[in-house]
Amino acid sequence: MEKTLSEYISLSKNIDDLKFDKKLKIAILSSFTLNGLSEILRVNCSELGIRCQPYMAGYNQYNQEFLDSQSEYYRFSPDVTFLILDIRNFLGDNFHFSYNMSDDERKSLVTEKISNLENIIKCFEKNLNSKLIITNFNIPFYSPNGVIETKSNFGFHEMIEELNKSLRNISKIHNSVYVYDFNQFISKYGEKNIFDYRQFHVGDIQIALNFMPHFAYELMSYIKPITGTNRKCIVLDLDNTLWGGIVGEDGFDGIELGHSSNGKAFVDFQKELLSLWNQGIILAVNSKNNFDDAMKVIKEHPNMILREKNFASIKINWNDKAQNLKQIADDINIGLNSIVFFDDDKINRERIKQEFPEVMTIEIPDDPSQFSSILRDLNDFNVLQRTEEDIKRGQMYVQQRERKEFEKSISSLDDFLEQLDIQVKIKKSNEFLIPRISQLTLKTNQFNLTTKRYQEEDIRNFSNDNKFIVGCAQVLDKFGDNGITGVYIINKQDKLWSIDTFLLSCRVMGRGVENGILSQILIDAKNNGIKEIQANFIPTQKNKPAENFLSDFGFKKEGNNWIYKLNNEIKLPKHLKVEID
Amino acid sequence: MIDDVNGIVAKVFSLTESEVSDQSSPETIETWDSFNGLVLVDELESHFKIKFTISEITDVKNVADIKRHLKNHNVS
Repeated sequence: MEKTLSEYISLSKNIDDLKFDKKLKIAILSSFTLNGLSEILRVNCSELGIRCQPYMAGYNQYNQEFLDSQSEYYRFSPDVTFLILDIRNFLGDNFHFSYNMSDDERKSLVTEKISNLENIIKCFEKNLNSKLIITNFNIPFYSPNGVIETKSNFGFHEMIEELNKSLRNISKIHNSVYVYDFNQFISKYGEKNIFDYRQFHVGDIQIALNFMPHFAYELMSYIKPITGTNRKCIVLDLDNTLWGGIVGEDGFDGIELGHSSNGKAFVDFQKELLSLWNQGIILAVNSKNNFDDAMKVIKEHPNMILREKNFASIKINWNDKAQNLKQIADDINIGLNSIVFFDDDKINRERIKQEFPEVMTIEIPDDPSQFSSILRDLNDFNVLQRTEEDIKRGQMYVQQRERKEFEKSISSLDDFLEQLDIQVKIKKSNEFLIPRISQLTLKTNQFNLTTKRYQEEDIRNFSNDNKFIVGCAQVLDKFGDNGITGVYIINKQDKLWSIDTFLLSCRVMGRGVENGILSQILIDAKNNGIKEIQANFIPTQKNKPAENFLSDFGFKKEGNNWIYKLNNEIKLPKHLKVEID
Repeated sequence: MIDDVNGIVAKVFSLTESEVSDQSSPETIETWDSFNGLVLVDELESHFKIKFTISEITDVKNVADIKRHLKNHNVS
């Protein structure tokens, strides 16, 4: 970590975060002393442009806070809660003397402890509609049973493993509950480093103060996706980044990729990248090179792991790297603040940092054996739900490239749209669709009328409320399935429906899909005896593409609102088929 | 260098170095509570690459005490 706890504490005193629009209320409840954590989180959040309001529950007060529906914690109404427990306080004396009990007693102790936690979760769900992250328990490296611990019948370690397993199961059942693998945090840095007996005895501190910044960094893995400050694309250099040496000088056979120790490091790094691509992270190339030399390696080198189809955009030329990067962002249609930039050359990195500070430029050493580990240490690619659309993303970009080529081959836009065979399937929200609907409201910036951000819990509430309609649209065409790419939320009043949210993913912009979806909403309203539809356009820095949508469609401005009278004829776009599921 | 101590104390308690003397203590420095005292220990340990014993930690009454204990760890 770059900063010590003391530096964080002094920085936190001078944070100027009132200017930030993004706000996040974080509650921290714990069974041991975690002073300093909220200061670090505030600094980390401010670096992401988020104003963080922390709430620290009193020392070991978590039970009361959860069980009392009038508690200060519930009144604080956090967006996210971290419940941070430790095995010593959780087991009490049984931590040291678990073998004074019989196997059966140990088993029933675990059952009892888990049902306590389940009860806490029930109370949480009853009182709050937000996310709860619970830490699991460290399995200590020590057992009084020594080497035969692993032979013990439901022994000390197995008890804790059982607790962890039960927690894992709880998080699978409860949508808003996540388990942070604290045991893995301990194995990452080592129990002997994290647990300092002196700090423990002086003040029940169970994460040594010099590791508190590391622990806060782990918690940021949740805060980033909740606030939409996670990243979705890695832009890569080629020479000395994806392979060793310079292909233009060393030649196809001269670069290091595979056999040598250095070569193995590059292969390993590519495997790490591919594993992220498989989970939906977009990859792109930004390299100063002769196009043909570099493409030959990408296409033909036997030890290349990443191939052309893994890259959503490829810029290999002698242009300015910053310009290339901007073009990549435009090609893929993502913001620069979604991009992580990997380049071995310090000068290139400085160029990007200066031109685009919103891009995350990674400092990498000359030693390629460190690349994989640096990539693994980033917590910026986390999501709290992986949707089908995420996993298919790589494939979708290939289809997108094919679509663009097709568009170039056809002279008029109308003919292009006509020949795309677009199908729009309108679906009502359900449990399976909620994560994706929430994700789109959190991420969509361009074609978004109101840019209201909704967590899964919010979407679930709207979906269960008969005053609201939550719908989404799947868009297909001759090149493939774009997945769920449109969302609308309607607030139903007696005589009037108002559009709370209407958005379209950038994947399907410019194809008239929005008209198809809106027409369907209007028809639905008319069938329900509604006389008019009301909508709003809330301008942001990014939603210009949606600016004229309402007026082009035929809405009329009345005061602050846009109104559509349903006695007007509702026109359906001719080039697409709209179906209702 | 043991002369670094005042600077570290100043940094931890958000003071200027001139405000710190050997007599500075939890009584004279408002932000010097038990937790910040531990933060100070953490900073001193990583700066001087030493580990205090628990009695040294709990025994500190002022900056002079810190310097005395540091000398036991061969910091001069």
